[in-house]
Amino acid sequence: MKRLSLLLIIILFLSCKEKFPVIEEFGNTHYNLVDQNDQKVVFPDFIKGKIVVINYIFTNCPDICPLSTNNMRLIQERIKKENIKNVQFVSISFDPKFDSPGVLRKFAGIRDLDLSNWVFLTGEKSVTDSIIKKVGVLAVPNDSTVFKNGRKIYYYVHTDRIQLIDTDVKIRKNYRGSKINIDEIIMDIKSLQ
Amino acid sequence: MKKIFLIVLLITSSSYIIMFAQQLKIHNSKIKIQNAWARPAVKNANSALYFFIENKSRETDTLLGAQSKIAEEVEVHESFIRDNDRMGMRPAGRIAIKPNSQLEFKPGGFHVMLLGLLKDLRIGDNIEAVLLFKYAGKIKIKAMVSDIPTVKETKH
Repeated sequence: MKRLSLLLIIILFLSCKEKFPVIEEFGNTHYNLVDQNDQKVVFPDFIKGKIVVINYIFTNCPDICPLSTNNMRLIQERIKKENIKNVQFVSISFDPKFDSPGVLRKFAGIRDLDLSNWVFLTGEKSVTDSIIKKVGVLAVPNDSTVFKNGRKIYYYVHTDRIQLIDTDVKIRKNYRGSKINIDEIIMDIKSLQ
Repeated sequence: MKKIFLIVLLITSSSYIIMFAQQLKIHNSKIKIQNAWARPAVKNANSALYFFIENKSRETDTLLGAQSKIAEEVEVHESFIRDNDRMGMRPAGRIAIKPNSQLEFKPGGFHVMLLGLLKDLRIGDNIEAVLLFKYAGKIKIKAMVSDIPTVKETKH
């Protein structure tokens, strides 16, 4: 009986691993960032031990990033509704020159986002560039708008992505951020619990 | 001779003006804008405006642009996908609305960019904008600020 139980556990473990192959792991890499409250954060250290839903955004994006962010909110609401514990939400800006902690705080605030388990991160451009390269996200400045006062803002062609990271800080699955199937990621989060 | 020429010119130009006005009137009443909504955003940031256009006339009309007093700049853009999962935006130019057809401005597609907002757009706020059509002329619209479309999706 004991052997059978052990065998079942191994089969379950292997099937889970097959369903969620490790896409990337952070290993001993650490990144110094700041959150929306200007508090220092070492990424990914602070998320270790939690299941993480993460997306990559720039706040000047009027269409796709708000859509991805709204999907993050919908996932968060389902997590609360189904009483799933130990899930952390993270949004990292790849446009840190514009997206200061204050800008990120306002971006979250105007949308009434629940920041009890959701953090918005920014930092030095070289650091955020390293992170997005590590996780396989591309963000290239493309079009721009110049205002009458000379202010210029850029729009990026960027990977539209939400990722699922396990408790060992390994990236386990990629989703289209703007078109994610909420039921699918909820099931995946449960599988990783 | 001069008088006759002037009279002919007057009659011709008057009839053209009347025809143009009639066409404008027809289009103005045949272009319907519904279910407009805009994304929340803070002052100086950007928002996007979405809506549903219906052209009930027998003529193609063209969306030439948009205006709003709540933003420094207003541009018509479209989002595009590249290499499966990379998204970008580009100016949409003039958009033709075919006779008896519908076109939805929606997330991930056509949208009106409200750039450099002059005030915060909070969920539940109402904003105004003007859409400029080749024949229908200026059409004023009101949009509610929301993070989701204000009504159910429309079938195409």
